[in-house]
Amino acid sequence: MIRIEGLGKTYLVKGREVSALDGVDLEIAKGEIFGIIGRSGAGKSTLLRSLNLLERPSSGRVLIDGEDITGFDRQRLHALRQRIGMIFQHFNLLNAKTVAANIDWPLRCTSNLTAAQRTERVAELLALVGLSEHAGKYPAQLSGGQKQRVGIARALASRPQLLLCDEATSALDPETTQSILRLLLDINRRLGLTIVLITHEMQVIRTLCDRVAVIDGGRIVESGKVADVFLHPRHPVTRSMVAQDDPLTAAMLDPTHAFAQDKLRGTLVRLTYVGDITYQPVLSDIMAASAVRFTILQGEVSSIKDLPFGQLLLELEGSDEDVRRVFAELDRHHIHHEVLQ
Amino acid sequence: MIDLSMIEWGDIALATWETLVMTGVSLFFTVLIGLPLGILLFVTSQGQLLEQRALYRVLSFVANVLRSVPFLILLIVMIPVTVILIGTSLGVEGAIPPLVVATSPFFARLVENVLREVDRGVIEACQAMGIRTHRIIFGALLPEALPGLLAATTVTAITLISYAAMSGVIGGGGLGDLAIRFGYQRFQTEVMVITVALLVVLVQLIQYAGDRLVLHFSRK
Ligand SMILES: Nc1ncnc2c1ncn2[C@@H]1O[C@H](COP(=O)(O)OP(=O)(O)OP(=O)(O)O)[C@@H](O)[C@H]1O
Ligand SMILES: [Mg+2]
Repeated sequence: MIRIEGLGKTYLVKGREVSALDGVDLEIAKGEIFGIIGRSGAGKSTLLRSLNLLERPSSGRVLIDGEDITGFDRQRLHALRQRIGMIFQHFNLLNAKTVAANIDWPLRCTSNLTAAQRTERVAELLALVGLSEHAGKYPAQLSGGQKQRVGIARALASRPQLLLCDEATSALDPETTQSILRLLLDINRRLGLTIVLITHEMQVIRTLCDRVAVIDGGRIVESGKVADVFLHPRHPVTRSMVAQDDPLTAAMLDPTHAFAQDKLRGTLVRLTYVGDITYQPVLSDIMAASAVRFTILQGEVSSIKDLPFGQLLLELEGSDEDVRRVFAELDRHHIHHEVLQ
Repeated sequence: MIDLSMIEWGDIALATWETLVMTGVSLFFTVLIGLPLGILLFVTSQGQLLEQRALYRVLSFVANVLRSVPFLILLIVMIPVTVILIGTSLGVEGAIPPLVVATSPFFARLVENVLREVDRGVIEACQAMGIRTHRIIFGALLPEALPGLLAATTVTAITLISYAAMSGVIGGGGLGDLAIRFGYQRFQTEVMVITVALLVVLVQLIQYAGDRLVLHFSRK
């Protein structure tokens, strides 16, 4: 659905060129939820805003449904933007209009629905985001989570195929964040909407996204399925971001800091596995058939979006030959292992 | 002691009415000219919806020139223009053109500043929806700025009251004219005191009404 090719953006700051994006290539499929993470100033917003040309790229192409949008004239740009919804960290609602009028506003300006049809559509959207009783209120009378629901309803008003979210939950508390994420997931599934979001909250990626890209210094440094990237982060930026709100993974990625070295005798390995195997006694079978003894130092069984996964930090004690055989068995069962020391 | 017996209350009532007419009519034309000018100043400025640097510089320069001329000088300079426009430079009618010329650029600047206060993100959200620029300006920008615009109008109305009084110097009519003719030239201090008191009351009333309107339209 979206294809970004060699996207570059430079800003002119006091006569000097500052590069915000530098040769970004990305492909986003129809119906998926795609996350973009990166440190502050990495270029996330610039990248996202290039998708509806709120930001004009300096080089490269953005193809949406096969068409290069960077060459669109004003007419086609308006039409394109009407097919793309966007929600914002600070909601950006019209304070002088009621909730219903906010949602009606894009319809009034860009659709050719009759007043009655618009009223019906607004009611439908209000019900979708669970705000039917608040139709007549002004944004100042709503909580942050309610404001974002209005933002979502407004973004969906003209039935877009693509929704862009710029830090949509960053101004909300954790509980409200969860309810907004559930709503987005629900919309994605029911309407088949493609969602591209940027966030600095890893939890948002874990609950919502199918794939993720990590951007640093205006370049994509890593991308892939969320479980792959989050369980096996390679780039230092990814490693630090994945570890930031997850002490368990942090300790597993770098166990030398987490454990007293003098207490360890055997081989330290990190096992990771995803899918149905999470619920099967594979590890038990393998170890029972081996002379190798193991100690669990740390472990987690959870899920990323709907995908169950496990990660274990084990200390293995046994002959080199036996340990090698255990590794071969793990490989055979698609349990990924990584010798840490 | 202030002696009120010699005061012509009829004259004072008429002068008050004239002041109100001068202020009201001038305010109407000031808004008519200054609002579009202020909107134009804002939207053509750097980084805004219809950025046009050359046009902005010209408008901004003209506004600054008009604003830097002291009102008393403007009153005199405008006399020939006023005569051409409405046939006389005297009385209530004669005072209106210089008043409008003096306050329009002032009001335009206030409007520009009020519009600058509107959250950029809100305008950006409208752009992201693919809404046309003129609809963004009239349907989103101006309604969002309404409380500020009303406050700016109140400030301008009060400025007009005092300018209208000043126009009495060149025979402009109204309370200012009365104060100068009786209070200053004929040493009737009572008339001076009463005109000033009336001006104070007028200003208070306008400020009160303005504040109420601003409050009514603030959705905070
Ligand atoms: N309008 C602008 N003018 C000049 N430089 C800009 C502009 N917008 C962004 N930049 C620069 O481009 C780089 C990328 O900015 P961007 O807003 O995309 O970062 P970000 O990843 O969204 O950061 P954050 O997480 O803080 O929002 C930064 O170095 C920033 O300073
Ligand atoms: Mg950003």
